Amino acid sequence: MNNQNSKKLLLFFLIICFLQTVYIFHFRSGFQYEIIKNPFKKNSGVHFALPDPVIEAKNIIKKNKVESFNLSASIKDNKALYQRIIEFNYPIRLKSSSDIFFFLKEEIIPKECKIIDTGEHLFLTKC
Amino acid sequence: MIKYNFNEIIALLLSLLILNNLLLIGLNFSDLFLKINLILFFIVLLGFYFFKPFENWYLKIFFILIILISLGTPTYEWDPRSIWLFHAKRIFFDSSIFSVSDNYASFSHNAYPNLVPAFASSLATFVGHWNEIFPKTAFTFMFLPPLIVSYVFFKNVKYLIFISLVLFIIGKYLFTGWADGLVAIYFSLSALLAYLLLINETNSYRNEKILYFIAFTFFTSLTLIKNEGFALLSILFLSILIMTIYKKNFKKNLKKILYLSFAFLPIILWKMFCYYNGIGNDYVNLSFVSNILPRIFDFENYLLISYYLLLNEKFLFSLAFFAVIFWINWNKELFIFVFVNAILYLLVLFLVFLSTPLDFHFQLDSTAARVIKTLSFLLSFFGLYNLNSGKDKIVI
Repeated sequence: MNNQNSKKLLLFFLIICFLQTVYIFHFRSGFQYEIIKNPFKKNSGVHFALPDPVIEAKNIIKKNKVESFNLSASIKDNKALYQRIIEFNYPIRLKSSSDIFFFLKEEIIPKECKIIDTGEHLFLTKC
Repeated sequence: MIKYNFNEIIALLLSLLILNNLLLIGLNFSDLFLKINLILFFIVLLGFYFFKPFENWYLKIFFILIILISLGTPTYEWDPRSIWLFHAKRIFFDSSIFSVSDNYASFSHNAYPNLVPAFASSLATFVGHWNEIFPKTAFTFMFLPPLIVSYVFFKNVKYLIFISLVLFIIGKYLFTGWADGLVAIYFSLSALLAYLLLINETNSYRNEKILYFIAFTFFTSLTLIKNEGFALLSILFLSILIMTIYKKNFKKNLKKILYLSFAFLPIILWKMFCYYNGIGNDYVNLSFVSNILPRIFDFENYLLISYYLLLNEKFLFSLAFFAVIFWINWNKELFIFVFVNAILYLLVLFLVFLSTPLDFHFQLDSTAARVIKTLSFLLSFFGLYNLNSGKDKIVI
């Protein structure tokens, strides 16, 4: 292939690669300008990645200096909420022996549990 | 005096430093050593960018763009959060890869290998705190060694076609924190190196000792990225065995094969650690037989797996690309080698899907499109490589 055609082909594939990158960036990435402004900040991207109750759980844990926690049956049944609360709050761990329970606000809290803190989505209780 | 290729040296150093990071954490070295290792990684990276600034500039620009996208993308998908970045977070807070022995949060599959999470945790160690964004770039940095080595085999337009294939097949997996794209690219490069160094006897790469070291680091990395990597490397060794016996040069290559087979050692040690600590694997366990038996004799199941795996648009494109290029430029030896690898991997995938402990449809729906990427990339990659090889090579 002569030099001129080779250059045309090079340009063609450069444009293809550029368009592919633009496509991935625009349609497939979930890119947020808010995040790129400071991707090294401690809480960067949290609100785009996690549901509000999960973020609230962390705030409540921090505020009340909880060392380990437990989750209501209803939260445990909700796979997404259950896994996100566990991974997002690490190194604070879920312990089946802990008497500090999170309940969703729409749940009925057992009589033997005392509410310690109330958020917009969750109750923190001692049972 | 032997002259080594600049890209080969950079790729080898980066790959070694990524593996060394896991070794340092595994041997309980202090944060200082992890930071030094990471600084060395970035020095080598700067060397790649500025030592020969105009060589391979497509990759240099493309990689910066991908890193920027990664730094602006939240981690919201299931496996990256529940498995990979959670492992990284645990390694960061526990300063150990062995703390998983408590099997806490078993949904995170504690038995999975930890090469990329360990690298992600070291990025957090380097910055001084954990967050949701920048540790994820470890997944993107892991792509660099195979992307750089590819420049040894593809130049100019062919390298741009290669990048285009990476963007098409691997796409968002370059930066979202999934490990499947890494498995695809590490396997394809490992297969090519195995082919050139052990099977094909008419290439000059066989004399480049550095390529054997690169092959070793890629083989090791492949097994330590994901469980599939172990299966894929086993498949690769089986195909090497078949091909070398078929070509009657097995004895001649025995030493090299033995040397490269040491790449299995780290993953075997890791799996032994998991086994002795009772950390299980969902797919390889006693329920394998009870899961597979009700499904294995039902033809419908095979059709369903084929539908999900083989009617994937990227797989079909890759198959067509591979077929057309081999039709134009027939290379029997390379075709058999790729064919054996592809068929063996498909067999493994069928076995895995038939024996899944999860709901059959859910498993197919959630994973088929990801795992077939390895096969799609393998076919496209070797199709592109075949543009170069043989006496009738297609000139671009």
